[in-house]
Amino acid sequence: MEWIGLLNYAVFMAIFICIYGLLALGLNIQWGFTGLFNAGIAGFFAVGAYASAILTTPEAAGRIGGFDLPVPVGWAGAMVLAAAIAWPIGKICLRFRSDYLAIATIGVAEIIRLVVKSEDWLTNSARGVTNIPRPFGDLPYVQSQLAYLALVGGILLVVYLLVERQIAAPWGRMMRAIRDNELAARAMGKDVPFRRLEAFIFGAALMGLGGALFAHLNRAITPEAIDPMVATFLVWIMLILGGSGNNRGAILGVAVVWVIWSFSEILTDQFPPEIAIKAKYIRIFLIGLMLQLVLRFRPEGILPEPQRGVSGKKDL
Amino acid sequence: MSPLLDMREVRGGYGDADILQGVSLNVAPGEIVAIVGPNGAGKSTAMKAIFGLLHVRGGKITIDGKDITGLKPNLIVQAGVCYVPQVDNIFREMTVHENLEMGAFLRSGDQTRAYDRVYGLFPDLKERRKTLAGNLSGGQRQMVAMGRALMLDPKVLLLDEPTAGLSPRYMEQIFQICRDVRDDGVALLLVEQHAKQALAFSDRGYVLASGANRHEGTGAELLADREVAEMFLGG
Amino acid sequence: MEFLELLNFYIIPGLVLGSIYALGAVGITLVFAILRYAHLAHGDIATLGAFVAFAAVTLLGLPVYAALPVAMVVTAFAAVGIDKLFYDYLRERPRIVTVMASLGVALMVRSLVQVIWGVDAESYIRGIARPENWWGIRLKDREIVTILTMIGLVLALQLFLMKTKWGKAMRAMSDNPNLALLSGVDNGKVVFLTWLIVGGLCAASGFFLGLNTELKSMMGWQMLLPMFAAAILGGVGRIEGAVLGGLIVGVAEEVSVIFIPSEYKAAMAFVILLLMLLLRPTGLLRGKVL
Repeated sequence: MEWIGLLNYAVFMAIFICIYGLLALGLNIQWGFTGLFNAGIAGFFAVGAYASAILTTPEAAGRIGGFDLPVPVGWAGAMVLAAAIAWPIGKICLRFRSDYLAIATIGVAEIIRLVVKSEDWLTNSARGVTNIPRPFGDLPYVQSQLAYLALVGGILLVVYLLVERQIAAPWGRMMRAIRDNELAARAMGKDVPFRRLEAFIFGAALMGLGGALFAHLNRAITPEAIDPMVATFLVWIMLILGGSGNNRGAILGVAVVWVIWSFSEILTDQFPPEIAIKAKYIRIFLIGLMLQLVLRFRPEGILPEPQRGVSGKKDL
Repeated sequence: MSPLLDMREVRGGYGDADILQGVSLNVAPGEIVAIVGPNGAGKSTAMKAIFGLLHVRGGKITIDGKDITGLKPNLIVQAGVCYVPQVDNIFREMTVHENLEMGAFLRSGDQTRAYDRVYGLFPDLKERRKTLAGNLSGGQRQMVAMGRALMLDPKVLLLDEPTAGLSPRYMEQIFQICRDVRDDGVALLLVEQHAKQALAFSDRGYVLASGANRHEGTGAELLADREVAEMFLGG
Repeated sequence: MEFLELLNFYIIPGLVLGSIYALGAVGITLVFAILRYAHLAHGDIATLGAFVAFAAVTLLGLPVYAALPVAMVVTAFAAVGIDKLFYDYLRERPRIVTVMASLGVALMVRSLVQVIWGVDAESYIRGIARPENWWGIRLKDREIVTILTMIGLVLALQLFLMKTKWGKAMRAMSDNPNLALLSGVDNGKVVFLTWLIVGGLCAASGFFLGLNTELKSMMGWQMLLPMFAAAILGGVGRIEGAVLGGLIVGVAEEVSVIFIPSEYKAAMAFVILLLMLLLRPTGLLRGKVL
């Protein structure tokens, strides 16, 4: 039955779009609304994935664990741990221009990658963490996929509404004021570094949650599942293409980029193996080129940031 | 004598709003002219208008009869106007001599005469030619800034608040340097916060307010004018 | 541990690695100081340089050391081209947008290398080089060449910056861009020169990493963090600081193996970077802070 296969694939893609949507919303809080450059998205994603995996799995030989905690506890733990790692980095780097944060977050992602790869007792190294419980995992395949989609879709919707509310609130106006004119915001007595730290930590927590949802979807997490540069970069191009500073744009960007990314993979998989390997890198090249083209020809993205300016600035 | 620098009814600003609402002033050869006025009067803005650093929407600026309105700064330099900004007016990480070299960047060939002239005006600098400009005292830095501008042999030197932040002792020193530069054949136009002292030492002065001319006359006349004294000079 | 053992197995490899980092860090510090943004494609341009040299050896049959100047020239113009295509038009936008563009360029350059040369490790010379013994100090020829070439290139650069008209213009642009423009310095030409120099240094850095270890498509990206740590440790805008920083980071990485598992060698650079930002963001030699 061809259409069942297509439906399955569509559901699978939709789940991924929701997970990446969380990452893009996290980055939108950091970059779109606050102007913070996080080049280590994959690091926070990995921390969330492993944190939740370790907290919720039954005992396994050779690594720490056996906590067997309920899944929501694992997800909360993922967010808390990602936030806890963001805190010191933000504390040190947010006093400076965002270039320093970019470098430091590249470093964080690199260290996390090293830890995941080499700390046997913690992450089981290359073999990864398996037997991660999956919500609705006992249902038959299609129902289980649909139920998981409903779950992640629901989470994305809740996060979207929460972020939108925050952005419309005085907090959001203040954040934009800081991003657009730091000196003026400082002069008005805003604690700029602290506000930035808030946004950085909040964004990182969402990235951790995205990682956790990914781990529970796959029931396993291994170091190979996270290619730091490509994962980070995909989220960036999603946000920039969709429209940074606009949450709906961010999610639209995720959908567009993920569809292109997945279909191009299907396409290149048709090629003979010799060419298919090269084609994989050509895809990455094109995704890099896409960013340059968007920056050049449509820097505001598909859905530009709404002009909240006039009324927003007055009552600051 | 016909004016060297002539600015007529100039209007303009940085964005859409006009900060200058029609400013006119002129400088004759061998003159020191001061622009004074309260904060926000458009003093520095008027000077930047001459040097092509803001959008001029009306009026005309000429140097020696040549129209320089709206030209790029590098062309204005070649027309014989040099500008010393109020802040960040030296290369701190470069030696005194290298600062002068940067002043003559657009010139090719032997610059010995230009160096001799600047070092002749500022003997202090000659002694410290290998010192990093950032390590000098405030007055000496101002000398470097002026020396850099003088390397291109301008007809008019524009100084934006040359005494800002300097102690009274240095202020007098800077004024003396201005006289020396004038005696060397360069006309000076300066914006000054210290209105009394500036008018006392200048040949002529303009009082600006709200982006327009309010009073003009010789330094002595303006100092004696009661309204000027009350409005801007604090009695 | 014996002194000679410390020297032979940790300090000397550290200095060699440090020289490689130094070549990259000098470029990073130049871009940071003159163009005023963090250039994240720096490591991958070094990878490109290393593979251009590899092509010169394998395709043109050049001797290994003759491939270095070829790679430097080709990569220098590649860097200028990258600037023209991807960075130049962003000059009026906030600088951080160029940082983002450079992250994209990093990915593009790397995938280009992977398409052309594949992902397997390569090397310039087959076989193992035996170190010579100099009164107990064991040094390979290539290690001596690495350190000496680094010193030579940095001295030549310093000479250029201190003595020539355009070298001074570059320093002026780094020092006070507005005043440099008021003095009539052509910004476009300074940018061109900067990329020419930075591209050449990148290629040298990648070449020597490939010569002393092996060529891999990820080699440059993995150098990015230590190179930035070195530039910030030395003080942004300080050429001699970048060299000093590079050597310190290189030695710190190699010596760290005595105390921590060798997988975490790469973490040293990160620790140094954070400590400097925390304690002394201007670096050892008082550089700029963006």
